[in-house]
Amino acid sequence: MELMHFKKGKKMKKTILITLLLTTAIFAKVNIATTYNYLGEVTKAIGGDEVKVTVLANPKLDPHFITPKPSLIGKLRKEDILIINGGQLEIGWLPPLLKSANNSKINVGGSGFLDVSGVITFIDKPKNVSRAYGDVHPDGNPHFATDIHTIIPIAKLISMKLSIVNPTHKLTYEANYKSFASKMEALSKKLDTKYQSCKGKKVVQYHELFNYALKVYGVKNIGNIEPLPGITPSSKHTLKIINIIKKQNIRTILQDVYHEKKTAQFIANKTGATVSIVPHDVGAVEGADTLESFYTMVAQRICQ
Amino acid sequence: MQKNIVGLSILTALMLHAEDSSLEKRVESLEKALKANQDRLLQEKMQKAISSSDSFNQQAFVPDIAFIANMSAVVRDISNKKYSDYAIDGFIGKAGEIPFNEKRGFNLNYGEMEISSTVDPYFDIDTALHIKKEGLHIGELYVTTKSLPYGFRLKMGKFKSEFGRINSKHQHSWRFSNIPLVFESFFGAGGLGDEGVQLTYTLPTDTYLMAGYEAMQGANGRSFGEDDANSLHIGYLKSGFDITDSNSLLLGATLMHGDNPNGQTDIYGADITLKSIFDSYSSLTWQSELLYRDRDLQNDKRAKQAGAYSELVYGYNSNWAMGVRYDTLFKNIANQPEDLDKYTAMVEYKPFEFSKIRLQYVYDKSKSFGGQREDEQEILLDLTIESGSHGAHAF
Repeated sequence: MELMHFKKGKKMKKTILITLLLTTAIFAKVNIATTYNYLGEVTKAIGGDEVKVTVLANPKLDPHFITPKPSLIGKLRKEDILIINGGQLEIGWLPPLLKSANNSKINVGGSGFLDVSGVITFIDKPKNVSRAYGDVHPDGNPHFATDIHTIIPIAKLISMKLSIVNPTHKLTYEANYKSFASKMEALSKKLDTKYQSCKGKKVVQYHELFNYALKVYGVKNIGNIEPLPGITPSSKHTLKIINIIKKQNIRTILQDVYHEKKTAQFIANKTGATVSIVPHDVGAVEGADTLESFYTMVAQRICQ
Repeated sequence: MQKNIVGLSILTALMLHAEDSSLEKRVESLEKALKANQDRLLQEKMQKAISSSDSFNQQAFVPDIAFIANMSAVVRDISNKKYSDYAIDGFIGKAGEIPFNEKRGFNLNYGEMEISSTVDPYFDIDTALHIKKEGLHIGELYVTTKSLPYGFRLKMGKFKSEFGRINSKHQHSWRFSNIPLVFESFFGAGGLGDEGVQLTYTLPTDTYLMAGYEAMQGANGRSFGEDDANSLHIGYLKSGFDITDSNSLLLGATLMHGDNPNGQTDIYGADITLKSIFDSYSSLTWQSELLYRDRDLQNDKRAKQAGAYSELVYGYNSNWAMGVRYDTLFKNIANQPEDLDKYTAMVEYKPFEFSKIRLQYVYDKSKSFGGQREDEQEILLDLTIESGSHGAHAF
């Protein structure tokens, strides 16, 4: 009798333990890190309450050069999924963090690693790859996030990844994707119609950061303030840009938040063109804190 | 092409709702076009296949190779002959090999080939080969694991110890062109690098906390040098957190225990780094390290010595940076004070991410030449190049 009691007690304990473990497994959120803020926003929209999202890069800083702070290592250590922009945008800061974090789930080839550039048709692919041309990206321009049309396939890819890693909530992710996609489609249609008039407009920009958005609205980029990608402006090149602006009567200079703004202002003063600060990521500029307001602001500031 | 055909067929299908009569004809012509296209693609493939194959092409698996070089022009108030065997009283009897900026005038300090590759799902391999006038020298060659359970990472081979802040960094990523005085005195001009194994573990928490343990041969003659069997053990803890989003603090503590030919050596270390980021290209970094050494000498004597450095580097923008460093040594903890000090200041210009020109001034009060303490001053202009597939630097 005593023995049986003992056995029964042990069994009870085991059952409780298993139930506890299972419930924590069911109620545990999926930990997801994204390199940039726009990816964080999409992931939150798709994952809803089932995910906990950490964004690594401050959207006000240059996406090529994020300081690999030690606090980011601890964060990467516990993630189940890591979502990156790709196209070599993170090559200057993410690899040492991944190496230190040593989380096999989110290393390249791991179950939780996702590079969203796989669903993008790249533009500006360089014909010749050499650092003689500055900081070139061999796959093409990685700043596709400024084009609202890319966000839908990216969201679908993220929903697929979430469904694979966390199949329990597959239906939720798919439903969230559907409502997200229809919302974004409506917005992109609205913007496409509203800014049709800006087709053929000519602009100058600091870095080739907005080419995808320019292509959408039919805006032509005539020149860049930096002489080569990643090279700071020289007076000779600045004079050349001033001449181009005057000759072609360009009215708008597109400037990002993280590069120096003196050169753009100088060119504006010499030519009468206006400097328009365009966000490159969600949260880069005040008032662009959601995907909707970000894409609205990108279109508006490019076209006006 | 195929996309076009699909689009076309949808379009046709829609149109056919209205024109039922021509339906069959149109489907037929579409099928024909599709077939013709498939045949053409197959023909193209065959043309290629008949005379070529990519089956043995391994180009995609070539390791990342970076080529690094450093060279300098030096003005110094000590002759080359005198400088070639300088001493630091109580620490270095004779300089021996001086790897960087040995001569007045021009120096080609080194070329370095860094090769790294992912081996398979389980291992990475990294190596740094120094190319010197005398030949090739293995600076580092190590294998790291990628998928040990519970987040453990094992490193094996020859590597620079990862204790503290500066020791594991290579000369090309140093902010000043020489290693701090205390590192030169305790481990040599290249820091502590040795054959051994390393185990590290990082806690899965928001506050960065990592622990490392290294077992090494103990071949470093400056502090250890008894390497009949592996005898050096190094343990360290590192922790870091963000005070605000743009201010980060990193702290570290180190313990070392090893054998030397006269007995044992213990080294205790502490380091602190505070970095403020102003924007993408501008920051201020304050970094300091302190090392204390307790070492058995001949005839049952013991030496208790210490040294520290503190440096402040201001990155003005992506091109310009400037910094100052103060170095000091304590020859004998019991009999203070002494003034084994060194002052360094530098201005750095980077035309681009992969090249660096540095102008540096050194006022060194720590050295002896021919048994005589003598102050030394030097002005140095050096050029560092990082070309090829060079990985990003850590914090």
